[in-house]
Amino acid sequence: MAESAEAARTPHRLARRRSPVSEEEAGRRREGQTEHLGQQAMDLSRFYAGKIETVPKVPVRSMHDFSIWYTPGVAEVSRAIHRDPELAFELTGRWNTVAILTDGSRVLGLGDIGPRAALPVMEGKALLFKFLGGVDAIPVPIQVKSPDEFLSTAEALAPAFGGINLEDIASPKCFAILQELSKRLEIPVWHDDQLGTAAATVAGMLNALHVTGRELKGARTVLFGSGAANIATARLLLSMGQDPAKLTLVDHKGILHAEREDVDELSVRHPWKYRLALQTNGGGRSGQLPQAVEEADVLVAASTSVPGTIRPEHIRAMAPHPIVFALANPLPEIWPDAAKAAGAAIVATGRSDFPNQVNNSLVFPAVFRGVLDARARSMPDEIVIAAARELARGAERKGVNAHHILPTMEEMEVFPTMAAAVADTAVSLGIARRKHTHEEFLERAQHLMARSPRLVRALAQAHLTAPMPRGPIGDRRSV
Amino acid sequence: MKAGAPSPAEETGPPVHLRPAREADIPAVVPLVLRLKRLNEEFDPLLKVRDDAEPHAAEILRAHVADPKAVLLVAEGRGPDRDKIVGFVRAVVRERPFYTPQNEGVILEIYLLPLYRRHGAGEYLLRETSAALKAKGAGVVTAEFPAQNEIAVRFYAKRGFRPATSIHARPL
Repeated sequence: MAESAEAARTPHRLARRRSPVSEEEAGRRREGQTEHLGQQAMDLSRFYAGKIETVPKVPVRSMHDFSIWYTPGVAEVSRAIHRDPELAFELTGRWNTVAILTDGSRVLGLGDIGPRAALPVMEGKALLFKFLGGVDAIPVPIQVKSPDEFLSTAEALAPAFGGINLEDIASPKCFAILQELSKRLEIPVWHDDQLGTAAATVAGMLNALHVTGRELKGARTVLFGSGAANIATARLLLSMGQDPAKLTLVDHKGILHAEREDVDELSVRHPWKYRLALQTNGGGRSGQLPQAVEEADVLVAASTSVPGTIRPEHIRAMAPHPIVFALANPLPEIWPDAAKAAGAAIVATGRSDFPNQVNNSLVFPAVFRGVLDARARSMPDEIVIAAARELARGAERKGVNAHHILPTMEEMEVFPTMAAAVADTAVSLGIARRKHTHEEFLERAQHLMARSPRLVRALAQAHLTAPMPRGPIGDRRSV
Repeated sequence: MKAGAPSPAEETGPPVHLRPAREADIPAVVPLVLRLKRLNEEFDPLLKVRDDAEPHAAEILRAHVADPKAVLLVAEGRGPDRDKIVGFVRAVVRERPFYTPQNEGVILEIYLLPLYRRHGAGEYLLRETSAALKAKGAGVVTAEFPAQNEIAVRFYAKRGFRPATSIHARPL
C-alpha cells in the first residue's frame, strides 16, 4: 500500500516541476474556497429565506378578474378536465410543472440526512430548472421510508405535474423506484443521479472516442464504481452499440462477473447490477481495477472522491492514448495533470475548473424542456440517448479536441437544440401528446429558455428581488 | 425505462448436461452448495450460514453419493465448459408412513451458476431429477426452499407444483 501511495505521488511531483502550483495544491485551495462558499450560502440563505417563489403568469386588472381565474369561471375549466383529463396539459400549468421528489436518503455527499435537510438542495435544483430550462419545478421532499411508500406518495402527487424529477435517493432503491414509477405514471420520470450523469458521460465519451480515432463498437470500456450513474451509463452504452464483452464494471468488491461470490445475493438485492454481471466482461476477467484496465480504451470512474483512487500505473496499463473520466465530486479520483502525465489523451472530471466537465446540468434542463414541450407520456432510454447525442453534437459544432469534448455551461445555445431533439424523439416514439415540427419545438424551447434569465433580470431591475447584500449580513432580511 | 432482461442468446437447448455425481466431483460441488446456502441466507435471518458449513457440505455430499435412496446429479457445461461442474441437484426418496403415494421424492437443493440458467436449464434439471426420483420409487415430487424465495415459488408453480406442507418458524 505504501509503495503504491508513493507511486501515486510521482506524477504530482512532475507536475509541480512543470507549473508553479500543482493541481493538488490548487485542489487544496479550492477546498478552502468551498468552505468560504458554504459560509456565503449560509448567510445568503438567511437573507433571502428561500430561493424560489411562485409568481402569477396572468394579468390581474382588477378583483373582477378573479372570477375568471378562480370561481365561478374556473369551474368550467374543471368540468372540461373532468370530461377529458388530458386537457389538464392544455388548460393548466401542469405541462410545465415538475416535482423534485426526494426522500433525502442520499443528499449530495452528505448521506441520509432526511427530507427536511434536503430542501435547500431541492430549492437550488428548482432554481436551475427554471433558470436553465424555463421549467417550473417544485421541491417536494417527502417523509417516507420504504420504496412502496415512496411510490404511492409519488402516484398521489402526480396529477399536479407534467414530469417527476427524482433526486438524491439512495442506491439501489433508486433503480426500483425509477423503474416502477415510470411504469405507473403517464408522465416522464427522471432520476438525475442515474440518467443526467449517464447522459453527460456518454456524450463526452462519444466525442472523446471520436477525437482519439475510436468507435464505441470496438472500445474496451471500464466503469469503475457501480452506483446509480455508472449502472445507468452501462445500460445506455450497451443500447448504443458498446460490445458487452468489452465492457467491464468494477465496484468495491472488484470486477463484476457472473461467477463472483456475491452474484446470487445481487440477484435478490440488486437485479440491475446482477444483469450487468451476467451480460458484461466477456473476457472473463476477475480481480480488481488493475486487471480491469489492462488494454482498456476508456475508464469512467464514478467512485470515491479521493485523488489517488486511480493511480498512474492504472492509466499506463491501458491502451495507447486512453480516455479517463474521473467524475467523483468534489475531488476527482485522479488529478487531471497526473492522469495526463501517465499518458491519458483525454481527461474529464465533474468540475467546472478543469476542461471537459461532465455535468448533469448540461442535460436535465434541456431534457425536461423537450419532454414537457412534447407533453411526453414517459422517459424511455431513447430520449436520454437522443439528448446525449445532441449534447455531443453541440460540442462538435464548436470543434472538439482533447480539451473540449463537451459544451461548457456557457455554451447555452446547445440547450434548445437538445430540447428539440428530445421532443422530436418523443414524437417519433409515439409518446408525445403534442406533435410539432422540429422548428416549432426549437423555437418554443429557445423562447422559454431565454425567458427565465430575462425574468430574473427584470425582477432585479424592478427591485422585486433584493440585490446581493455587500458586507456582513447580520440580521438583515430580503423581505 | 428499458431495464428488462438481457436479450436471450439463441435458443439452443439447455447449456448444461446432467449426470450422476461421483465421489470425485464433491470438491467441485461443495462451493455450489455454499453459494445456494448463502443465497438462502438472503431470504431469512433464520437461514444464516454457519462458519463450519463447508466441511459439513462435503460430509453430507459423500453420504449422499453412497445412499441408494438418494439422488445427486451434477450439471456440466457444454462446449468449452464441458468439464466444468456448474450446478447440481440433491434429492432423496422419503417414505410417508401415513399417506399414499407411499414414497415422496424431495428436491433438497438445486443450483446452477447464473450464466447457465435460462434457456430451459431449470426445466431440464427438474425433468431429469423427477425421472431419477421416480426410478427410485417416488410417486410424488416435492421441493424445499425458503418461503421468501419468490423466484423459486414462481419456477415451481409454472411447472405444476403447489404449496403442500408449510413449515413455519420462530426463533427461541
